[in-house]
Amino acid sequence: MNRILICFLFLSIGLYGLSNQILDTLYINQGFFQTFNGSTISYKSFNSASDFDKTNAILTYSSIDTVSLTLINNDVISHQFRSASLGVSSVVIAPGSQANISIHAEQAGTYIYYDGQDYPNNKNLGLAGMIVFKNSNAASFYWNLKELDTLWVNELSNGITPSAIYNPKFFLINGNHNPNINLDPLARVVGNVGDTILIHISNTGNASHSLHFHGYHLKLLQSSEHPYQEGRIKDTFPIHPMQTLTLQMVPHQPGEYPVHDHNLVAVTGANLYPNGMFLTMLITP
Amino acid sequence: MKTFFVFVFFVATSLSAMAQEVVNHLLIARNLGEKVMHDGLSLRTFGFAQTLNEQPPIPGPTLYANEGDSVVLDLFNVSQGAPHTIHLHGLDVNQENDGVPHLSFEVHHMDHGFYYFVAPHPGTYFYHCHVVSSIHVQAGMYGVFIVKPSDGSNTTWDGGYAYDQDRLFTMSEMDPIWHEDSVLEHPHDTTVEVHDISIPAYNPTYFLVNGKSEQQLLEPEIALQTSKEAVSFLRMANIGYLANRITFPSELNATIVSTDGRPIMPAEVSDTLWVLPGERYGVLIEPLVDLMDSISISYVNMNTHLSENIQYIPVNVSGTNSLVELNQDLGFKLYPNPSDGAVFIVAPEGIPYTGLKVLNSLGQVVYSELEIKQSNQSQILNLDLNQGSYSIEVLYENQTIDVLKWIKK
Repeated sequence: MNRILICFLFLSIGLYGLSNQILDTLYINQGFFQTFNGSTISYKSFNSASDFDKTNAILTYSSIDTVSLTLINNDVISHQFRSASLGVSSVVIAPGSQANISIHAEQAGTYIYYDGQDYPNNKNLGLAGMIVFKNSNAASFYWNLKELDTLWVNELSNGITPSAIYNPKFFLINGNHNPNINLDPLARVVGNVGDTILIHISNTGNASHSLHFHGYHLKLLQSSEHPYQEGRIKDTFPIHPMQTLTLQMVPHQPGEYPVHDHNLVAVTGANLYPNGMFLTMLITP
Repeated sequence: MKTFFVFVFFVATSLSAMAQEVVNHLLIARNLGEKVMHDGLSLRTFGFAQTLNEQPPIPGPTLYANEGDSVVLDLFNVSQGAPHTIHLHGLDVNQENDGVPHLSFEVHHMDHGFYYFVAPHPGTYFYHCHVVSSIHVQAGMYGVFIVKPSDGSNTTWDGGYAYDQDRLFTMSEMDPIWHEDSVLEHPHDTTVEVHDISIPAYNPTYFLVNGKSEQQLLEPEIALQTSKEAVSFLRMANIGYLANRITFPSELNATIVSTDGRPIMPAEVSDTLWVLPGERYGVLIEPLVDLMDSISISYVNMNTHLSENIQYIPVNVSGTNSLVELNQDLGFKLYPNPSDGAVFIVAPEGIPYTGLKVLNSLGQVVYSELEIKQSNQSQILNLDLNQGSYSIEVLYENQTIDVLKWIKK
C-alpha cells in the first residue's frame, strides 16, 4: 500500500510539473462590420487587443495548460464570458470593468466561448469564438463559421428582438468571405503531401453548414455533438450551431483544392459567386 | 520453382487485367431542358444527357465503375451557353480532373473535355457541374457515380455486406424562380474567378426524390419493394440545399453502414438518418415483418432548422420470395368520394384483395388490415377520421398494390 501511495505521489508531482500556468487577456470590443457591398453594421467581438477587430480571437493552448484569462469590457453594456463545453462562466462584467476566469480542458479538443449575457442576443451580435486545447504538434488551422443576417444584427443593435425569419446573406469563416479567407493564415490550409494537418472548426452562427472537401477524405477526430461518430472518414462534414469538430487530414496528392459549404447558397453573397464559405487548400509535393 | 513463378506471373497478370477495366462514359451538357413537375408546371432546366435527342434527365444518368477501373469521362458541351465542367464529388481525383473552372479546365460550347481517374473505394459519389455551381446544380446538372467492388458483386465493398438489391435515392429541391431565364442565362467572364450574377433568395417549392415528388413517388421505380428474406442496400444522397431527416419504419431494421464512400465501423443501427447537402449514406434494410408503410424524408431549412416539406417513399414488404409491384392501377373503386364517413371499397372483378391500408396526407398509417383475407371483393370502411385527403391502398393476392385518393368531408 505504501508503494502505491508513493507512486501516486510521484505521479501527481509529475503531472503538476507538466502543467503550465498561462496568463492571457481578452477585450470585449464594439465596432463596425463593413460588408463588401457597402453596408456598415454595428458589431461586437472578443479580441486580443483593445482595438476592435471583426474576427473573434482564436485562443490556442496546450492541453496541459491552465489559463488565467483576464476579461476587459470596453463596451457600454454588460457581458459575460462563458464556455458551456468547458464548463466555465465568468461573473457578469460591467461596462469598463474587468474579471478573471481560470480555464482548463479535461481533454484536448475544439471548444466554443461566447457571451452568456442576454444569450443568444449578444452572441448574435458577434460575441463568440473558438478555444483549442492541443495535444499535438501537427500543423493546425482554425475555422470559426458565422453568418450575418444584417437585418437581425441591426435590430439587435437597437435593442429589438428580431421577429423575421433568420435569413443570412453573408457566410463567413473567421469573419471573412471568399476570396479573403485565403488571405487568413489561420484559415488557409497549406502543407505538404504526407503531412498530418488538423482543422479545428466551430460554428458560432445560427445556421447549419455542410463542409465539402475536394481532393481528400478526412478523419473526424472530435465531434462535440456526436462523439460516437469520431473516427469516421468522410469528404463532407455537417456542423450544427454551437458545435465543434476537429478533423485530421493527411494529403496523399498535391494540388489546390476547394473546401466549401455544400449548401450552395452559402457560397454566394450579395450576387457574387463564389463568395461566402469557400476557400482553397494548397498542398505541395 | 521456375514453373511456379511463371504461374504466379500469369495469375497476377490476369487478375490485374480483371481489376483494371477501362470504363468510358459520355455526358452531354444541355441548357434547354424541360422538366414537368408533379403539378404540371414546366420548368426550364440544365442537365446531362447521354444522347442528343433526349431531354436531360434530373438527376442525370447514374454512372458505374468497379473499384480499380480506369474511368474516362467525356463531357460534350452542346449547350450554347456558359461553359460546364464535371466535378467528381468525393472521388478525390487530382486537381486537373477536379472540375473547378479556375483550378482545372472548363468545357465550352461544342467542345469535349475528358476526365480521367481510377475508381477508388466502393461507394456512392456525385458528379456535378462546378461552373457557378449554386445555379448550375439547382438547374439540374448533377447525378450519381457508383463505384462497386472490384468484382462488381452485390456487396457494399470487398469483404463487406452482401445484398439482394441496390436502390439509389437522390434528394434535391427546385425553386421555380431559379429556373427563369433571367437566372439561368447568367453572364460568365472566364477571365475572373468571382462572378457578379443574379442569385435570388432560395425558396424551393418542389422537394424531390430521384427528381420526383408527391404522387409521382408512388411510381414503381421509386417505391421500395422487398420481402422478408431480401437485404436491400439503400444509397441515400443529398445534392439539394436543405438538410434531409430520413425516418425509416422500425420494422425495416435499418443499419447505417457507410458514408461518403467509406465504411462506418461499427455500423450504426438507427431509424433516423440526417443527410446534409453533399453527404451520402449507405443503409442496409432487412425487414422483419410484412408491412406497407413509407420512408419519410423531411426537407429542413439550414438557416431556420424548420421542416419545409415531407416526402414519402412507399415501402412494401410482402412475402418471402418475390417482390411485389406497386400501383398496378387494376381499377378498384371507392364511393362515395368525397364522403363524410363510410366509404365502399370494391375490388376489380375477379381480383380479390388481401390487405388494406389508409394513410393521411403526411403518409402516416391511420388504419390497416394486413391479415390475409379470403377472396375479399368489397367492404364498407367506416372510420372515425378528421376531414382531409387520404390514400387508400389495397394489396391484391398477386402481390400488387393499387392506390386511390379519398377525400373525407
